[in-house]
Amino acid sequence: MDSITTTLDAVCLASQLILENGGETYRAEETVERMCQGLGILRVDVLALPTGLMLTLTLEEDRTISRIVRVHSRSIDLNRIDECNVISRKVASGSMTAEEALKALQQIKRPQTEKRPLLIAASAVSAASFTVMLGGSWADFGVSFFCGALVQWVLTPLGKMKVPPLISSMIAGALTTLLALLGARMIADVNIEPIISGAIMPLLPGLATTNAMRDTIRGDLVSGGARLGEAILSVMMLAAGIGLMLSMWGGRLT
Amino acid sequence: MSWWIQLIACGIAAASFSVLLHQPRSTILVSSLVSILGYSVFLLLKQSTLAYFLASLLIGICCELSARLMKRVATLFVTGAIVPLVPGVGLYRTMRFIVDGEYSDAVRTGAATLLGICGIAMAITISSVLFSAFWHRKANQRGASC
Repeated sequence: MDSITTTLDAVCLASQLILENGGETYRAEETVERMCQGLGILRVDVLALPTGLMLTLTLEEDRTISRIVRVHSRSIDLNRIDECNVISRKVASGSMTAEEALKALQQIKRPQTEKRPLLIAASAVSAASFTVMLGGSWADFGVSFFCGALVQWVLTPLGKMKVPPLISSMIAGALTTLLALLGARMIADVNIEPIISGAIMPLLPGLATTNAMRDTIRGDLVSGGARLGEAILSVMMLAAGIGLMLSMWGGRLT
Repeated sequence: MSWWIQLIACGIAAASFSVLLHQPRSTILVSSLVSILGYSVFLLLKQSTLAYFLASLLIGICCELSARLMKRVATLFVTGAIVPLVPGVGLYRTMRFIVDGEYSDAVRTGAATLLGICGIAMAITISSVLFSAFWHRKANQRGASC
């Protein structure tokens, strides 16, 4: 029989990982409920928010235990969500104890070995392909490739230095625009529109927006509103970065 | 650029974006193919606001189906597959008009962009809500829910 602390630790860690890596709040709540069901907890009340998690387990009629978990940083790592989901299902079906689950979850939480070159290449290729998809020429493809690589190369250290994501968004927008404008100056037949639009596509908060809508429609109004606010702000910061660079280059912002 | 180059670029872009999000390897190909399907519908429907909605609905349904088939979380597929539809051009043009001081054009483009984003989000939400409503009982019987 698992001790109650282990159970609580495992459950909290699972939903914390989901919230930190871009999962929906209802998924975090469902994970807690599912795991507790599998572990034989009498009743569980859980409230997940994008910035934290509160839960109360009822062990017997008059014995409850509660915990609050704070979620500080949010990024997107779909692989971790997938792994958490697999573990929570195993716990729910009873084929995994709380202690095993806790160990497995800690394994997931451990920072993964940085595959930075791969990420930079992926960012470059996706920016360049988006440019072509939006009707850019092969010259645009080249410039956009460098935009994508540079943005990812700059964003990783910014993330490590704990620069707020909103600020990095703005920096990314400004950098992309600067590079596109430079490219257009140096190479004759380069069109900046497909380059900038293509290169900012990977930076737009697509997941945050759809998650916000999903949360709102499912009735998690607080989470939905918070996520929507985050997404809107992040788009605005990105746009501000682009606008700033465009107006500095063109010398007018009326 | 001819349309087939655009579609291939769309697939490559979606796949490499999936890599960027640490998507599990086995799901990358699926979301890339689904994104090509969605984007071709989007192009066929002349890139209108309705096109955003219908193309995203198609993507959402395909992703939910493949999530059920592969027993994975639907979010894994949707995130990569939906990206090509995100109106990056609209956002750029809006900003460009604002910088140039052409506010009426900026409002027009901005509103269209916003509608596009709303259309995408609505479509994805509708597909996910519908699927969880209709598949819930079945999933419970099998002892697994997505």
